[in-house]
Amino acid sequence: MSLTKPPVFLKPFSLWVASLSLVFFVGLIGIGVVFTKGLVVTNLTDLVPWGLWITIDLSSIAMSAGAFTLCALVYILGLKRFQPLARTATFVGLIGYSMAVLTLLLDIGRPDRFWHAVVYWNTHSVLWEVTMCVTLYFTVLLLESAPIFAGLPWLRQRFPWISRRLSSLHHLAPYLAVVGLGLSMLHQSSLGATYGVLKARPIWYRPDLSVLFMASAIAGGISMTLLVTMLSGRLSPRVKVNDELVEKLAYAVGWVLVGYLYFRFWDALSMTYTYAPGRTEGLQVITKGALSFNFWVGEILLGAVVPILILLNRRYRRQPILRMLALALVVGGVVAYRWDTNIAGQLVLLTYLPNEIVARYTHYVPSFIEIITGAGVVAYGTLAVTLGVRYLNIVDHSLEVHAEQTSAAPAPAIGD
Amino acid sequence: MDACKSNELNLEPVNSDIGRRQFLKVVGFGAAAIAGLRMTRRTGASSGEKGPHQWAMVIDQGKCTGCGYCTNACRAHNDVPPDISWNRVIEAGKVGDKTVFISRPCMQCEHAPCVEVCPVGASYYRPDGIVMMDYDRCIGCRYCEVACPYGGRAFNWEAFTGPNPAVPTWGQPEVPRRPRGVPEKCSFCYQRIDRGLALGLTPGVDKDATPACVVACPVGARAFGDLNDPESNVSQLLKNNPYFRLREDLGTKPRVYYLPPREEVKK
Repeated sequence: MSLTKPPVFLKPFSLWVASLSLVFFVGLIGIGVVFTKGLVVTNLTDLVPWGLWITIDLSSIAMSAGAFTLCALVYILGLKRFQPLARTATFVGLIGYSMAVLTLLLDIGRPDRFWHAVVYWNTHSVLWEVTMCVTLYFTVLLLESAPIFAGLPWLRQRFPWISRRLSSLHHLAPYLAVVGLGLSMLHQSSLGATYGVLKARPIWYRPDLSVLFMASAIAGGISMTLLVTMLSGRLSPRVKVNDELVEKLAYAVGWVLVGYLYFRFWDALSMTYTYAPGRTEGLQVITKGALSFNFWVGEILLGAVVPILILLNRRYRRQPILRMLALALVVGGVVAYRWDTNIAGQLVLLTYLPNEIVARYTHYVPSFIEIITGAGVVAYGTLAVTLGVRYLNIVDHSLEVHAEQTSAAPAPAIGD
Repeated sequence: MDACKSNELNLEPVNSDIGRRQFLKVVGFGAAAIAGLRMTRRTGASSGEKGPHQWAMVIDQGKCTGCGYCTNACRAHNDVPPDISWNRVIEAGKVGDKTVFISRPCMQCEHAPCVEVCPVGASYYRPDGIVMMDYDRCIGCRYCEVACPYGGRAFNWEAFTGPNPAVPTWGQPEVPRRPRGVPEKCSFCYQRIDRGLALGLTPGVDKDATPACVVACPVGARAFGDLNDPESNVSQLLKNNPYFRLREDLGTKPRVYYLPPREEVKK
């Protein structure tokens, strides 16, 4: 665990960290502007009140879905060999949720009242349920990542008792996995329902959104975990990756995508029958209009079809570069899906005039401040994961073996 | 009748019991189960508790000339910034050669999407049917704005500072200004109603107890009153005239009624 590494590795690493820090710093300035000037600096309007930030928020939560999926796989289904991947997923999830919370703080008009969401309850609201689940699940993720932070060399040397306490939390893992599964299934799908329950927006108003958000989150979340794992393994010589595990799970992602595409096909097809005001126009915005490239190329072709072809074909899947490409495409496809879903329902509005329920179109392009703050949040997440790989061994498939050999040692203490 | 009643009484607890048990079994923890159940059930937050008054507004499209006095009076009395209209006046086509307008305050829906979706309960129903905003509780997530089918809400993207151009020409502010970062909307001038009732006045009859837009209308196109009082002007208007509400297909049950323009008005 020595920190000294060959300078060959150090140089690009520090460059990478430096550029991420720069983007993050610029984002911080943007965040300062948003907090002092208010949301007037965004291009959000009363007609399009949810924009880029909501997309980043939804995407980071979707990308965190690997945590509950893999923890369930390891601790509920008992597939212990995937434990090193669950460790990575848990950390990625923790960072993903912190990104979501950060973006939400930016997005709400009164960030000083963020705590109202926990104190004042409207149990009718799906968004209340999402808030509760996210808050509770963030706590679960903190507990689940405690053993990871226990491995920090500095902590182990200076405060060994804290380190021991934290790593002992690992015994809670099976219970946390059950709670995490419940909470995640609730809010991952409820995020789709947040849109799906709104009768005023016909393109959203359908039950499928919750199912689709869930399915796409599982595919995207696992892909993100695997992508982080593979990239770390390739970029850092000190990271050991068991490629067989990654490949197995990548194969599973392929099948999840098939299921997702199946749901999406029927979801979209069912909307093409008869003219429904607002819904038909919304679907046309997606399939023929402003979002058509995102939809056909980003979501369907590159986001689902190509990754399915790569991941379900053993020969292609075995090639690390192709597999990584497929995983990255899945991540991109899920982000595109979140963007398109959020924006489609706001680009098409229905009038409320009598006998004239017609669609009207709106327009939204994120402002400069929205973009730099959004990039700042993404840079923060990437930086946190990078540092996690570097200093917390969040990707290390040799840990399990070590722990089995010296189970008494407090050191990494992740496996059992 | 009796059988029907007992049926209902029997069904209720059985249903919720099964639901709860299944949830506990499947999900494994009670908190989430109760949360899930409560979300599907209409409880205290709904418009169930109805008070002695049920306020409603009737707007006669045949009389409305689209002058916009209502919007201006509203701006002054509720201290609304110039770029926001709690009450919008929109052209809505022609009947014969006469342009018809729709004046759109908040619909004060009986099943208001904004109340249903607000995560913190900052939008709520008053017993008299008014859909209220608690500006001190709102976190500014704008879910209500996205949910409202009538575009009835406007967000304070920046703080409204400086003088209000509608004051004093159109009246004096009666409520505090809303801060930056919360959406605002029409409240049927609850402050005038409440104060009027306390002084023994009748909203809809006495000007001081009636919403500012109704008082300001120069052609008497707006009426306000209590639906629970069969003799009130709104009850009478709705009894004797054909009427409609906006987007009734959504099931929101607005408390703002419109009398459609008729031929004789044209002459």
